[in-house]
Amino acid sequence: MRPLLLLLTLAGSALAAPPAAIPPVRFTDTKLENGLRVLIAEDRHAPIFGIAVSYAVGSKDERAGRTGFAHLFEHMMFKGSQNVGAGEHFFLIYNNGGSMNGTTNTDRTLYFEVLPKNQLDLALFLEADRMRSLEVTKENLENQRQAVKEERRLRMDNQPYGRSNERITELAYDNFAYKHSVIGSMEDLDAASVEDVHDFFRTYYAPNNAVLALVGDLDTKTTLEKVKKFFGDIPRQEAPQKVDLSEKPQEAERRERIEDRLARLSRIDMVYRISPGNHADTSALQLGAAILSSGDSSRLYQKLVREKQVAAQVFGFVDERMGPGLYRLIAIVRPGKTVEEVESHISEEIARMHAEPVTENELERARSMIRRSAAGSRASSLGRAIRLADDAVLYNDPGRLNRLYAERMAVTAPQIQAAVKTHWKQANRTVIVTVPAAAATKSGAKSGGKQ
Amino acid sequence: MKRRMQVLTLAFAGLALAQEGQELTSLKGVVLKGKAPVSNEILRVKLPKAAEGKLKNGLTVLVMEDHRTPLVFMDVVIPASSLSDPADLPGLADATADMIRLGTKTRTARQIAEQLAGIGASLSAQAGFGSRTTHVRMSMLAENLEPSLALAADVLLNPSFPQDELDNWKSRQLTALQQMRTQPSFLADQEMMKILYAGDARSVIASTPAAVRKLTRENLADFYQGRYTPAGAVLGVSGDVTLKQLLPALEKYLGGWKGPGVETPKLPVREPIGKRSVTLIHRPNSVQTYLLVANRAIDRLSPDYYSCTVLNRVLGQGPASRLFRNIREEKGYTYGIRSSFSATRYRNHFEAATSVRTEVTGPALEELLKEFFEIAAKPVPPEELNGAKRALVANFALGLESSSSLLGQVLMQREYGFPADYWDRYPENIMKITAEDVARAGSAYVPRENAQIVAVGDAGKIRDVLKKFGEVREISEE
Repeated sequence: MRPLLLLLTLAGSALAAPPAAIPPVRFTDTKLENGLRVLIAEDRHAPIFGIAVSYAVGSKDERAGRTGFAHLFEHMMFKGSQNVGAGEHFFLIYNNGGSMNGTTNTDRTLYFEVLPKNQLDLALFLEADRMRSLEVTKENLENQRQAVKEERRLRMDNQPYGRSNERITELAYDNFAYKHSVIGSMEDLDAASVEDVHDFFRTYYAPNNAVLALVGDLDTKTTLEKVKKFFGDIPRQEAPQKVDLSEKPQEAERRERIEDRLARLSRIDMVYRISPGNHADTSALQLGAAILSSGDSSRLYQKLVREKQVAAQVFGFVDERMGPGLYRLIAIVRPGKTVEEVESHISEEIARMHAEPVTENELERARSMIRRSAAGSRASSLGRAIRLADDAVLYNDPGRLNRLYAERMAVTAPQIQAAVKTHWKQANRTVIVTVPAAAATKSGAKSGGKQ
Repeated sequence: MKRRMQVLTLAFAGLALAQEGQELTSLKGVVLKGKAPVSNEILRVKLPKAAEGKLKNGLTVLVMEDHRTPLVFMDVVIPASSLSDPADLPGLADATADMIRLGTKTRTARQIAEQLAGIGASLSAQAGFGSRTTHVRMSMLAENLEPSLALAADVLLNPSFPQDELDNWKSRQLTALQQMRTQPSFLADQEMMKILYAGDARSVIASTPAAVRKLTRENLADFYQGRYTPAGAVLGVSGDVTLKQLLPALEKYLGGWKGPGVETPKLPVREPIGKRSVTLIHRPNSVQTYLLVANRAIDRLSPDYYSCTVLNRVLGQGPASRLFRNIREEKGYTYGIRSSFSATRYRNHFEAATSVRTEVTGPALEELLKEFFEIAAKPVPPEELNGAKRALVANFALGLESSSSLLGQVLMQREYGFPADYWDRYPENIMKITAEDVARAGSAYVPRENAQIVAVGDAGKIRDVLKKFGEVREISEE
């Protein structure tokens, strides 16, 4: 009997309705002559549309000495082009009722807006103009360099565990592509020049290196015509060189200890190198990760936080990438308990994942979570536009979201166990232990302040 | 059944911005070339109405349908307020909300967690500090509506507050309180609320280690008995369900819920503080200063609410606002900056916040105050004013996509006793606001000479700089 029915009995309830299908996202897929891939999905539920432009460039494409550049460049895309003034992009989007942003990760750079449906021309014009004719001045670069350095301070340097978050990938990866952080070093951010911006734009910001997705209250045919009108004459560029993302097999566990002057409690960060996002093992590990480390019904939460009471918090997730990904675990050690205690309980639970298949109950819980998150992730037009564009850029598979749901719901316990054995091995692991710095300097305190 | 949305396209007379073909204009931090094609129409949307019903025990039920995906979201709004926490037990409402899902008369915490996960549901309970109500929220799969409601009802009606769960919770809560104190924004907020709401329950934004330690099962059970009651509660639902489907199930699981009425806390809206204050919180090893500038302003029922909403859009809400354009886009002092009116039934203050590198603490604060003086002293030019109003009104279309945000609007309208057509009339009320209204609101509510300033950073490096802004009161983060 399926555990779902058991629960219904427990709840003393009538039979539940049969599960409704999660409607697949239907879209058209067109390539313009200049290589721009255009994905359009109609949805008349609300009088709005979401637009996403995903460029196949991320921090993986950066060279040594220019870490953080892909992200700094993303900021420059808001500083004006031939027909759009510096800052005019966000000024127009917001003042016409929309919202927008840009975001960069290891694999791609994404720009997106959501607007009332009568502003379709505006969105297409703004995206096309900056794809065609970015204008860069020294002054604008300097200004955004400062903003990005503040972003680094905000997210990393002024945060407890900021250094640990950055260091863990540096330690886990060997290939430069994923080894360095997306935000980059202060030194490299300082080194970026106007010429770098020009070169980067020419190499990566071309229609043949981008995917445009539109989802919402729009007509596919007229929208496609408009896209051709606005983007059709942007010249194609030579395709950029593909970066090799492969990693040599890791041979032994890696480990480091960091003293953190902003942290109050010890923390353990543990990562395992895993398969690329599109590998079947990654789907199996997504379910394995949910069972081991997601939410308060997970094994680690039950064991470490509730039963043994050695951790104040523990959670884990799969960091899915185009190339080799990571399974990441984070645990906060409870005051009075030791890092070693926490780590040994985690290791025991990982060993249990190796030794025996997960139970049917656990699998059912993981599937329910996947079902709810799949249904939830389709709710917004913009969310769908982003998924379509990103899956096209990363995997050349815009319909991946429809396929992936079925694939993940079908994962079996033996498949999870096999993937765990392959990837969650000690030799494949990197551990960082962060401890609060013994005595934080009191230099600023009133009595001792001597500046 | 697909809900039809009535969409009217209206051009607001006199609103059309001369954007197309316009000369190059410069506002601080932004250059407008005016070549982008902008539709001068504003989509005026009619918000769908929620279906309304009542259980026999008086509980009001509101349903906002959306059948696109098999998900249902529920928000039970209960009149259990942290504002009535006893002075020696700050956080009692918050603790009660946390603890209701950690054991009922028939289920252990573990069973609750596992059964929720098994049916793809998530359940949270939260009593916000400073709020009149506690929210019990559940997100569930439509096919598991009944078992989900059964579980939610058990948690809501039969919590048992087991002693071992309370002990474990206390230990986690003590570490959470420590973790909070590593965040500059928390340190600043905590101090600012003490300044703005000195002497009343609104000044509290977190529990204390002492209160956590002394909390007992009896405290929780008493609070629960007196406050978790259907009298004055509202149950809102959005998603793949109808009122007709829902009512029998709710009657079955929540029909037995009884309880006394709860008195609404009464706390006055006080005038802005007259004299400037500067507070420095030393956070060792900081590389940025977190700046928070505030003063008391309006509550949600104030007639100046619309003026303040437009004002804030011009001043500090979003990238098109003055604070962002000046302090980030022109000066490069920060990654982000925002201002807001915290205008609820009980909270009534205006605030602006930003993190800047330590070295520019002085200039950043100076620029921020300069913008505050300017918006109070000079009328906002038509271009900026219209942009802000247009932003607020046109943005309504975006909210139509999410049934839970539409439900949130309905719940808010009821919370404040606004008329049923409140949101339908909201756009015209925004459009009525003039430059004079904004200047008046600016001069009344945006702090200047009377700014309350809290800075969190490396005291040794910013102490002297802050002295330029007033007498500095220094406290340690500990």
